[in-house]
Parts: sequence; structure tokens; C-alpha cells
Amino acid sequence: MTAACREACCSATPRFTVAELFERGFRRNRATPFNIEGGAINDAEGNTARFSLALNQSKLSELRFRVSSCTTLIAYCEALAELLHGRDAGLAAQFTPRELVAALPGVPALKQSRAVLAVAALRAALVAAQTNSTAHQGGVT
Amino acid sequence: MKVAYIFATSRHTVSYVLGKMILPQLEENRHGVDVAGMFFFEDNNYVLVKGNPIGARLHAVAKKKGILLMGCDQCCYEREIADILFEGVPIGCFPDLYKALSGNMPDQVITL
Repeated sequence: MTAACREACCSATPRFTVAELFERGFRRNRATPFNIEGGAINDAEGNTARFSLALNQSKLSELRFRVSSCTTLIAYCEALAELLHGRDAGLAAQFTPRELVAALPGVPALKQSRAVLAVAALRAALVAAQTNSTAHQGGVT
Repeated sequence: MKVAYIFATSRHTVSYVLGKMILPQLEENRHGVDVAGMFFFEDNNYVLVKGNPIGARLHAVAKKKGILLMGCDQCCYEREIADILFEGVPIGCFPDLYKALSGNMPDQVITL
């Protein structure tokens, strides 16, 4: 493993913890959405999530979201926004809820289903981006 | 009468009011009312961490009497204890608390 330690022991800031992702995500959750926006995805518990994104070529230059005020959900969405920043959109679509859960330890099992909602909302935005791109290329009439 | 307790302040709330008043009374079946649930804010959540001696007694009596125990999710995440609470003790926010209590609504909510 060559990645730098992201824990408090190495004084890493910003830290990649649920509490700190929630703090950062709380602000991102209020930012104006980008033009490329996926549909809202809902879960059985009444939570909703919707991502928007900005593309530079095929790279995700920035992600934003509007989600229910659930701490875990906001933290998961912020984690996605930070982890996938600068990544290729096609590769980002392959990111799974399981990977998201693994990337963010400390979430109790009962709350980990929020990762499924977060990833589904992200994928909806990526589909919207793809549709948008195809339409601009004349593929959709 | 049925009550729910919200442990909101961090003075002697857990070690004294819960640990030396409410909990012994519940254990001795002489608390005087039924307790539907207890919700914990801020440092009070440490009582819900596995291994806490007061928490262990509370967890046992709650299981026996069907008392809901719930920690504030933001408070637990901030303290990085959300995944080390006693078995079956959930974290949540107000919507989760109201939903969890909806099948066993208290007549009074006591904030301590």
C-alpha cells in the first residue's frame, strides 16, 4: 500500500470520516446544481438523492448533489464526490455500493443501505451526461 | 403512563440521573412509569458503547422491557463510535426516533 495515511495520526486534513464528510457535504448539498443532472432516486425509507455534474472532456470535473438531510446519506454522497473527482465518467459508473461502504468505515450495518441510494443517484446523473453527450453529437433526435 | 427520555445535557445526566436513579429503579421494577425509549445526544452516547458498565446494565434492562435505545447519529459519527454500540442499538435522527416510537408512543417526553 503506497497511499498516504488519511487518519488523524498523520494529521491528515481534510479527514475522510463520516463526520467530516458530512460537514463538507452539508455545504455541497446546498450548492446550485450543474446543468447535467440525473433524476431523483428514492428509497423505501423516504430518502431521496440526486446528483449533478460538470464534465471536462470525459472527466468528472465536479460533482454536486441534493439529498435528504440524512447524515449517512450526505456523507456517502460527499465521499463519492471527492473520490470520483477527476475520474473518467465511464469508470465512475462502475463504482459500486460495496466499494463505497468499504471506502468509508464506521457506518453501522443498518445505515449502509444509504450507499446503494447514493450510487444509484450518481449513476442516474452519469446516464444523463451520456444522453446529453449523445444528443449533442446528433445521436438523439 | 409511558414516557420517553431524551438525554440532552452532559452534566451528571448519565452517570448520576440514569446510572443511579432511573436504571436501578427500572431494574427493580419501581420506576413508576413505563419507559418507551431513550435517546442520547452528544457525550451521553458513550454509555451506548459496547463494554460501558452502565450501558451494559441499561442494554439488558431495555432488552427485557422492550425499551428503545437510540443514539444521535451525528453525535456518534463525530465521536467515531457509531459502529461500536451495543448489539441492536441503532443510531438516527428525529425522523428515525419518531418512526421507532410510533408503535409505542409515550405520553410524556422528558428531556434531561
